[in-house]
Amino acid sequence: MSDLNVMTAAEMAATKAAVMDQVPGPEIQGQSPLHHADLDSLAKVGPKQGGVHLREHKLLGHLTLRLNPENDDQLAAAERVLGVALPLQPLTSVENGSYSVRWMSPDEWLILVPGLEAFDVESKFRDEMGGHYSLVNSSGGSTVLELSGPDVVELLKRCTPIDLHPKLFPVGKVVSTVFAKSSAIIRRTGEQRFELVIRRSFSDYIWLWLQETSREFGLVVKV
Amino acid sequence: MTQQNRLQSGGRIDRSKSLTFTYNGKQYKGFQGDTLASAMLANGVNVVSRSFKYSRPRGIVAAGAEEPNAILQLGATEATQVPNVRATQQELFNGLVSQSTNGWPNVDTDVMSVLGKVGGKMMPPGFYYKTFMFPESLWNTYESLIRKAAGMGRSPLENDPDFYDHINQHCDVLIVGAGPAGLAAALTAARSGARVILADEQSEFGGSLLSTTEKLDGKPASEWVSAVTEELRSYDDVMLLPRSTVNGYHDHNFVTIHERCTDHLSDIAPVNQARQRLHKVRAKWVVLATGAHERPLVYSNNDVPGCMVSGAVSTYINRYGVVPGNELVVTTTNDYGYQSALDWHDAGRKVVAVVDTRANPAGERVDAARQRGINVITGSAVIDVQGSKRVSGVSVAPISADGNKVSGSVTKLSTDTVATSGGWSPVIHLSSHTGSRPIWNDEIVGFVPGPTVQKQLTAGGINGSYNTNSVLSEGLEAGLKAVAEVGLNAAEVILPIAEDVKEGAAMTLFHIPHVKPTSQAPKQFVDYQTDVTAAGIELACREGFESIEHVKRYTAMGFGTDQGKLGNINGMAVAAKALNKTIPQTGTTIFRPNYTPITFGAIAGRNCGALFDPKRYSAMQMWHVERGAKFEDVGQWKRPWYFPQAGENMQQSLDRECLAVRDSVGILDASTLGKIDIQGKDAREFLGRIYSNAWAKLAVGKCRYGLMCGEDGMVFDDGVSACLGDNHFLMTTTTGGAARVLEWLELYHQTEWPELEVYFNTVTDHWSTLTISGPNSRKLLAELTDYDLSNDNFSFMDWKQIKVAGVPARVFRISFTGELTFEINVQANYGTHVWEKLFEAGAKYNLTPYGTETMHILRAEKGFIIAGQDTDGSVHPFDLGMGWCVSNKKPFSYVGKRGMNRQDCVRDNRKQMVGLKTKDPKMVIPEGAQAVLDPNEPIPMKMVGHVTSSYWSANLGHSIAMGFIKGGLDKMGETVYYPLVDGTVIEAEICSPIFLDPKGERQNV
Repeated sequence: MSDLNVMTAAEMAATKAAVMDQVPGPEIQGQSPLHHADLDSLAKVGPKQGGVHLREHKLLGHLTLRLNPENDDQLAAAERVLGVALPLQPLTSVENGSYSVRWMSPDEWLILVPGLEAFDVESKFRDEMGGHYSLVNSSGGSTVLELSGPDVVELLKRCTPIDLHPKLFPVGKVVSTVFAKSSAIIRRTGEQRFELVIRRSFSDYIWLWLQETSREFGLVVKV
Repeated sequence: MTQQNRLQSGGRIDRSKSLTFTYNGKQYKGFQGDTLASAMLANGVNVVSRSFKYSRPRGIVAAGAEEPNAILQLGATEATQVPNVRATQQELFNGLVSQSTNGWPNVDTDVMSVLGKVGGKMMPPGFYYKTFMFPESLWNTYESLIRKAAGMGRSPLENDPDFYDHINQHCDVLIVGAGPAGLAAALTAARSGARVILADEQSEFGGSLLSTTEKLDGKPASEWVSAVTEELRSYDDVMLLPRSTVNGYHDHNFVTIHERCTDHLSDIAPVNQARQRLHKVRAKWVVLATGAHERPLVYSNNDVPGCMVSGAVSTYINRYGVVPGNELVVTTTNDYGYQSALDWHDAGRKVVAVVDTRANPAGERVDAARQRGINVITGSAVIDVQGSKRVSGVSVAPISADGNKVSGSVTKLSTDTVATSGGWSPVIHLSSHTGSRPIWNDEIVGFVPGPTVQKQLTAGGINGSYNTNSVLSEGLEAGLKAVAEVGLNAAEVILPIAEDVKEGAAMTLFHIPHVKPTSQAPKQFVDYQTDVTAAGIELACREGFESIEHVKRYTAMGFGTDQGKLGNINGMAVAAKALNKTIPQTGTTIFRPNYTPITFGAIAGRNCGALFDPKRYSAMQMWHVERGAKFEDVGQWKRPWYFPQAGENMQQSLDRECLAVRDSVGILDASTLGKIDIQGKDAREFLGRIYSNAWAKLAVGKCRYGLMCGEDGMVFDDGVSACLGDNHFLMTTTTGGAARVLEWLELYHQTEWPELEVYFNTVTDHWSTLTISGPNSRKLLAELTDYDLSNDNFSFMDWKQIKVAGVPARVFRISFTGELTFEINVQANYGTHVWEKLFEAGAKYNLTPYGTETMHILRAEKGFIIAGQDTDGSVHPFDLGMGWCVSNKKPFSYVGKRGMNRQDCVRDNRKQMVGLKTKDPKMVIPEGAQAVLDPNEPIPMKMVGHVTSSYWSANLGHSIAMGFIKGGLDKMGETVYYPLVDGTVIEAEICSPIFLDPKGERQNV
């Protein structure tokens, strides 16, 4: 077995070789997991008043980083790439401009970046970071929903068993948890604003679920 | 209809708001604030049901959740039918439509009553077991007739128009019951800053204080209730839940509450309002302030309408302004029973007598009754009741001091109402839900909650405390304890003071004697809802049922929807006496969730219709739907099964799809296959340990098929993994096995080989996988890429990073059909784009979309297994003829190696995978068919194997099948027979499972 965190140049090269810019040029428009729901039209013709507002942040770059949190070199490398240190406190998140980083488990972070920057960020990690880690582009596998409004907590209480009391779930907290009969990564981004990262294959189910469970409050789709 | 029993004033009803309702097709009036029961009593409705077994007329007995008889069917339309509604808990609304459920054809004339009148002997306990179980063949007939006659309510035949809700809640303290104890506890906790949920099943808070004449601090108790409720409402962290029954107390202080949000408003919920809501509460502490139910005495004909528990009579008078009759006889063992006589008298109606079992009752309520000139008969009891659909009179007799026998002559009194009080039974149901065994308390003559493993506190009536001042202070104490336990500083709460009423000692008596022995006396009901009598319990004991649990099951005591709230203690007392034991020696039965019946709507919540179970879709789902695909469930995925064209049946579609792939090119959406990204220096080593075959020498840019086995050596998943980089692999799994395989990898990494440097991440949803397969697939792909796709540059089992239709892709030259195949993987946001471009370019090649069924046929033509269809957890690689996929040269072992070398796994004559060619090429053997060697052997025949995959092959022009035959690999060319259930037999020849292109030339061009 090789030593921890020591990689030969050839190994580094081999790892790097698997990195791939997966996004074509802007001439080809990607389709988010909720493309079929046509949220843009719903935003135009749908209700303008309601207790819950929904907005999709689509086609972002989703990168999953795994590394040993006790490896200071890797932490420093991550900070050089992201401009902000990885959150080490469980269930917290940090932001730096259009980059945001979510603590997912003791050795795992979910990084969101603008969709066209994913490959750049990935390449920078490969350049900056040595040793044993993994970086996986999962941009096609999920999408981001922003839920906000005066009834957003009431809505979320119908979706997840997590305690959303502001004392226990302050702005910035992030959890990966049960969401209806699927799962979601939930982050509080404001007193009455949350961000959900949901899986592509479950996105239609969650979209249907949110429409149904928001019936008592009214759902406003926003662009 | 006039409300002949309604008082001119008093009560918590609003006489300015008149409401119309219907009961059994007849219209009545009531007021805002009524329950259905109080409105029925106001209108003099006597019979609300027919009893379960004897079909006796029954009336309203109680005023709350414990009501055993007034269980009605509600609903103005077919779609809004709700069974099992207790009229005592249903608030009245305008237009309410109700129906009695027991009694066929109706409650007033009933064919079943013949059974009851012919005599109790006809249906003793165990009647069903003894009579109707034999002959067994007729049980279904008996059962449907008895059920119809007994009536159990019915479910609607149309879809419920309402929606129901589930919600999660968290709190420091959940307080169950908003009577004096619960309010005191809630006030203490709320003032101290705790997160509080206060739930009560009634429409308004106050509990017993709503129907009392008692004063707090010299003012009506309701004033204190209002003040406390208002204060509680002012706290952000306090949630008040009226109309909410705490129905289940589960492990870890997880509590379920059934809230009826709009049941009090209308037949159908207002637009966009949930009808009912199930609260799932995680509470740090739970305070049970559930109070107590009054216990009726057991005397002959105690079920005739007009017989009620004493407290209920007071409640109807004081809370609803209804006096449920004209004349009252009270039969009691205690002072509290006098209260109904006082309230009745003060309402201006006649109290015939209070019959007290005690020889010398002394207490303030007794004095108050005497001061009002009420006739108090001591040392006596009501032993029998006259009347059928309403009480017409009672038989009163002196009884012995021990209450065991009638000691004097019988007097008859004329009355239409009997109020009874045998003391109180604490409502310990929720405590019992947690597994806590109740403890008998001689002093209060009842069971109280036993030791608990939950973070649970109790206060008030549940502890057997009935004095208002003690109840209030127990509530305060519970609140303080909870506050301290959650680490808060207690705020000051000053309790109001109730006037202390001096009470004399109660007599412990449950079962009133009759002049005849119990077995010959008129029926003395213990459990009204299941028609269990004292005589029935004695009979059960005589027949040898000594455990109370057995007595319960034999007699059905406590089995009704009321769970024996009124009758259980009396039943235990009767059994104890019959067995010559004490009640604690006899033991108690345990209550289980739910406390009161809950609707299926509330249980289902939003998880119904389209949301019953998540449906997972690939990026190309809309395209499949628009092309009219038929879908197959694979786990939660919806996969295209086949794509029928106009006029085609399924087999015709499959034939066309199969031929198109072999003749030109077809396309499959393979996005659902599990995909796991594996990174780290030890990724290759890890694969070598988890797969049965070798991975050490797989070069970057290459793919390999792998078999995954359990520790027992049995195949559980398979798939192709690609070497993306020396430290980087992409593993594919079966669609259904994806999550399990990822967990399997993590399990082995985290528990067995944590020293291996490797990380796993799922990328199943990230990639769309578009599989083009067929001799023209290269030509098709060449239309969308400049890359050199020649066999020399891009060989079988290679993968390449290229652009397809302008989109970066990883293309794998692997094949599950045996044809030249390219699996195109693109980031899923671009899947539909590439898919559509393939069709634009594919028209000239007759590019044909195919589904899972065609995929199954094509792979079976090649003899490729499907893990989970051709394997069942009992076959190892060698059984499958896949020994080539096992490497025993690996320096480290691999999962399953030892397992597949067990004695049983290496013996001769194991079932082995073979191909099967039917003698009649048109016959397709049903999957699952069992093989025999001699079709004429008498049953039981010796079975030598079974069929796992079987199809019609349009390419080959005959059927093909794969299956297991004992020692099959050595039996090539031999004949086996498949006898079918219709008596026919299919004859087949054992052959290689590779029916097409055994040299693999087609995929390697």
